[in-house]
Amino acid sequence: MSELLEAVDEAAALEELHNLGCTDGLPVVIPTPARVQRMILAAGQDGDMVLGEMGPGMGIATVEKVATAAVMAGCLPDYMPLVLAAVQGVLDPVFDLTEMQATTHCTAPLIIVNGPARHTCGPVASGFGALGPGHRANASIGRALRLAMINIGGGRPGSADMALLGHPGKFTYCLAEDEENSPFAPLHVDLGFAPDDSVVTVIGAEAPHSVLYSGDADDPEDADKLLGQLAEGLANMATNNAILTGGSAVVVLNPEHAQILSGQNMNRTQITRRLWELTHQPVARLQRYGGQFSAWLDGDASTLTQYPVFPQPENILVMMAGGSGLYSMVMPSWSAGAHRNSPVSVRVETGQFCEIPG
Amino acid sequence: MRDGISMARLGIPAVALVTEDFWPQGNFVAQSLGMPTVPRVQLPHPVAGTGEANLQRVAGEIVTRVVECFSPPA
Repeated sequence: MSELLEAVDEAAALEELHNLGCTDGLPVVIPTPARVQRMILAAGQDGDMVLGEMGPGMGIATVEKVATAAVMAGCLPDYMPLVLAAVQGVLDPVFDLTEMQATTHCTAPLIIVNGPARHTCGPVASGFGALGPGHRANASIGRALRLAMINIGGGRPGSADMALLGHPGKFTYCLAEDEENSPFAPLHVDLGFAPDDSVVTVIGAEAPHSVLYSGDADDPEDADKLLGQLAEGLANMATNNAILTGGSAVVVLNPEHAQILSGQNMNRTQITRRLWELTHQPVARLQRYGGQFSAWLDGDASTLTQYPVFPQPENILVMMAGGSGLYSMVMPSWSAGAHRNSPVSVRVETGQFCEIPG
Repeated sequence: MRDGISMARLGIPAVALVTEDFWPQGNFVAQSLGMPTVPRVQLPHPVAGTGEANLQRVAGEIVTRVVECFSPPA
């Protein structure tokens, strides 16, 4: 059982949680034992089940502690399977959470939800404004992960979380793929999961950067121009991806842009392949702007004229979400850590979920 | 700090060099990893990108303290 704090009322409890550094700076729902127990019940798991050790504070992430974060974030019990999957994702050693929490870069875990749990454990929004305010599941699931990273992992700004500025996605950063309207296979299916699986994919990501492209159905180069614009945003020379190389990143296509690409009979494999090609950068630019990070160019690489920003096309995750219009989004990434900012996908355990009435 | 602790756990004498701005984080990590007294020396902040001459100056200022960390207590 977690340690219990005492306060005369909820207002006093909130101030104490703020003073202890247990919040993200915004008001939280007070995690009373009854509320936490209700959330644990929804998870259908034992409260003391250990999910892993969360750095850099090396706190033990139990179901109870994650449920506490979910209560504080304002989650409905229905969301618990997604919150647990997101926490499991960042606890995977491949995610390098300890290093990611401690870096000076602004990176934050982006949560992408695929499969039926988008509806049964949400709804998690995937349309207009999916990354903005107004969607309870998106807002509170991402926030629950952040509160877990603060209170279990110890990621408090300036003492353990050393992000120089951070970004607003560090409050919450969660959306679903619009599978129903996407012309492509769902992201999780192309990652090797079954269509009926529900999957949470987490990846450390910068704030989303808008990419403007106005399509022209009469232009035979329409699709390639769109991909060129996305590549400009994804791997410009100011990004860690371009300078450090070796990482992964995310492209969120809006429905119109997805249609431009599918209209050219492109699937995700072809899209990522072309994006990978278009994100190559001239070696001379890395030598000019890369400082010490261009040192790898000194050996056999000295004869190169261009270099790949991403090791493989598969390092670029492409999904479809958002309203229909001119703007897609790209999320460059931190690109560092032992596993170079690898995404992690976790199948959501919905079989244990217990519906909580009221 | 984490590197210093990892080296120490391997039985290799180590001193963590931590800049002033990262000193609280270093202390937090040392505490979290169960080695709160791991030897450490504070550097001014920033060090990276400040040029060869400054690095030489900083090295000159801290070398005695680094050696002291490696030396057995009197």
